[in-house]
Amino acid sequence: MKQLVRGQGFGAIIGVAVMLAVFTLIDFSGWWTIQTISNVTQFTAILAFVAMGQALVIMTKEIDLSVGSVYGLAGVAFITVEPALGVPASFLVALGIAALVGLVQAIAVVKGELPSMIVTLGGLFTARGIIYVWTGGSVHNFSPDARSHPLTRLLGGELFGIEAAILWLVAIAVILSLVLWATPFGNRLLATGGSRESAESRGVRTDRVKIAAFVLCSLLAGFAGILTLCNQPQTHVTLGENMELEAIAAAVIGGCLLTGGRGSILGAILGALIVVSFRYELIALGAPSSWYITFVGVVLITAVIFNQKLARFLGHSV
Amino acid sequence: MTSTHPLIQVRNLDLHFGAFHALKNVSVDFHAGELIGLVGDNGAGKTTLIRVLCGIYAPSSGEVFFDGKKVEKFHPKLAIDQGIETIQQSVGLCDNLSIARNFYLGREPVKRILGIPFLDFARMREKSTRVIRQFGLRDNVSADDEVERLSGGERQSVKIGRAVEFKNRVVIMDEPTNHLSVREREHVNELAVQLKEQGLLVIYITHDIFQVHRLADRIVIMENGEKVADASTSSMTAEELEEVIRQGGRVVEKQEAV
Amino acid sequence: MALSAAKPLIRRHTELGIFLIGAVLIVLFATTSDGKWANLFNLATILQVTATLGLMSLGVALVIGTGEIDISVGSTFGMGALTYLWLAAQVDPSLAAVAAIAVGAAIGLFNGLLVTKTGTPSLIITLGTLMIFRGIAIALTEGFSFSIPYAGRNGWTYFLLGGGDFLRFNTALYWLIAVTIILMAVLKAMPFGNRLLAVGGSAESAHSRGVRVDRIKLTTFILCGMLAAFAGTLEAGKLGFADGSMGRLMELQAIASCVLGGCLLAGGRISLPGALMGAFVLSSIQSYLVVTGVRPQWFILILGLIVVAAAYGDRSLRQWALRK
Repeated sequence: MKQLVRGQGFGAIIGVAVMLAVFTLIDFSGWWTIQTISNVTQFTAILAFVAMGQALVIMTKEIDLSVGSVYGLAGVAFITVEPALGVPASFLVALGIAALVGLVQAIAVVKGELPSMIVTLGGLFTARGIIYVWTGGSVHNFSPDARSHPLTRLLGGELFGIEAAILWLVAIAVILSLVLWATPFGNRLLATGGSRESAESRGVRTDRVKIAAFVLCSLLAGFAGILTLCNQPQTHVTLGENMELEAIAAAVIGGCLLTGGRGSILGAILGALIVVSFRYELIALGAPSSWYITFVGVVLITAVIFNQKLARFLGHSV
Repeated sequence: MTSTHPLIQVRNLDLHFGAFHALKNVSVDFHAGELIGLVGDNGAGKTTLIRVLCGIYAPSSGEVFFDGKKVEKFHPKLAIDQGIETIQQSVGLCDNLSIARNFYLGREPVKRILGIPFLDFARMREKSTRVIRQFGLRDNVSADDEVERLSGGERQSVKIGRAVEFKNRVVIMDEPTNHLSVREREHVNELAVQLKEQGLLVIYITHDIFQVHRLADRIVIMENGEKVADASTSSMTAEELEEVIRQGGRVVEKQEAV
Repeated sequence: MALSAAKPLIRRHTELGIFLIGAVLIVLFATTSDGKWANLFNLATILQVTATLGLMSLGVALVIGTGEIDISVGSTFGMGALTYLWLAAQVDPSLAAVAAIAVGAAIGLFNGLLVTKTGTPSLIITLGTLMIFRGIAIALTEGFSFSIPYAGRNGWTYFLLGGGDFLRFNTALYWLIAVTIILMAVLKAMPFGNRLLAVGGSAESAHSRGVRVDRIKLTTFILCGMLAAFAGTLEAGKLGFADGSMGRLMELQAIASCVLGGCLLAGGRISLPGALMGAFVLSSIQSYLVVTGVRPQWFILILGLIVVAAAYGDRSLRQWALRK
């Protein structure tokens, strides 16, 4: 229990509890419906992937503004290349593209010594631009053959009524948490974010750690994009626009501190849950869609201040 | 007992930070089984020099030889692999990690499950707890506590314990007695001598020339990025050495008391 | 050898880099576009876009100077435009403009208070306000129409606030020039400017010397909000209408302009002329792509590459100038 409270994700746990209580009180019949809950779980899973990747990068004291574009680029690549290469190969190609974007950005940040905000801002524009130019503004859909391919079904189908995305999320979240908290790599990642100089002086190759974090982040965003398309095989060039804001919001709500070295994978998932829940509850309430983004902004600011106060209360100097 | 053939050789080392000339043509030899006192006034370049030796900075020009072989690449990991342990002044501990994690950072012990390396928490905890108790950290401090909560002296003790635990061929100590009580300082100095007697090279940076004169075999004085003196402690007294430092320091005009 | 002699100059004025690039680009664009780029009408358009983006970039540069960042300026721009349009149909445009600027100041105050009172990183706080006010702007435009009927688009004050051209250039450009001169004077010649850069260089040191760090940061956020809202006003004045997405992505372009212009994201060193030149370069490139018939999809891709190349170039130039 003590570990739970002292973990960075505690604020998010409280947030989810409060949120569910509020929704139940004001809109029991609208919130607790199959439609709403299934939408929420599906989209939380998708956003959670992107948020977890963002969490890793934030924990190394960097930021990745390009995740929305990478998400879109991987999805678009997957669906565009499929007719020529088939499903399994285009899956690998799409992931490869995502990883490549992450790698290029990481090298610019680490070797070029440029601020990650600027590099990934450039990545955001460049990747989105590649989507536009490559597709010429229009994207086609998956063929029926592709839709019934076993890999597509593995990524986008259902098992015992549970969406594949959720099962993948649980599996990958467990793996990421283990890697972060119970392996040497994770120890060095936390050290890099906590104090890069100190970590470096103890022999940690912080360059490689940061590169790994960026590549992982882009891979997760790309994977999420592919999952989305396996589930709903039509897309458009604006796929993933603004998702970086949601992913950062989710990671921050989930307890990742921008000062680096502190965060939580579970928190990022819960943060994604909060962000997506707000969207669908607002839809269920019949509110105009513009309210969503306002609410997310309010929740974001509230959450980050709360998490900061919580961290200070626990004695961390942040 | 010092060996005749130097463990570390520095030849004509120059280091620039942009336009700032931090190290100017420094040449010095270090031998195994020696305790060298590296002294000098503020800004003399002592910390900068040892940062080159422990791999944090790469020289702008000049050469460093370790055990007869020229050092081509400079990175802390390479230095640690060569057996150089360093106690730095301002860096070395990550606040967000526990004592145990900090202790083993960069050389974490693992248990392989299905081929995947997982941290061996039991071993990390047990060993680091034993060492910190040895160095005087009280019972209410656990190896799982975040380093952030420790006092300055406790943090210093962790750094020293770590260096002693992983000692190999060289131990560099940059102002190791900072934040320590009198008894703790004695303990550190005894340790430094013990390490030397075990055959390691110990480089000891300090402001306190009298203290280090008692411990060291040789004193190297730096000033403004240059080496200005290199003498065995048997050939120069502490007072003579202090005079050398004072002569070279920045001139401060004595003002008449108002 | 002459290049070495220039090092101290470049060390202190790295924005020379962007001016050089700008000059090269102007020559390049003028000669390769068959007169389509280098004519007065096109230049006037470029300068109008530069004016609004430039005003926004000046505000962002000030905030960056203190070591913080404000990514909500696009939303503030939108709110300013909406406020202006809503009121300009009913009262004199000059009053409407004042109201818009006040709204901008209020948003800036909100940002500044949250950052200084809670010690939370400005990137996240302004991300939140970006979302809040974007949502409000969209919500407002869903219900109401924000436009000035053609009949109302006259009058001296309307004209002054972006509604027309003076000497063939949109009046926004003159506002830009005026504001730039004032801000440069403040930055270089007044204590406030000195303290602003000190805060960005090292807030701790500045604080220990008695500088009211919080107040300086708060002031820059307010100024930034005011400038963004004013830019929105001028844009609305030119277009005569606005929708909820006005200003979207402009915050990213404003930051890009600042970086292009040699402003250090870490704070402590900024260049207002540099930021303006950055805005001009971005607008010129966009215009060039349009007149040469390149598909608009390329612009965003090129923008991305430029941002990174510019940051790298600025850094390399700085390092080169620092070496002996």
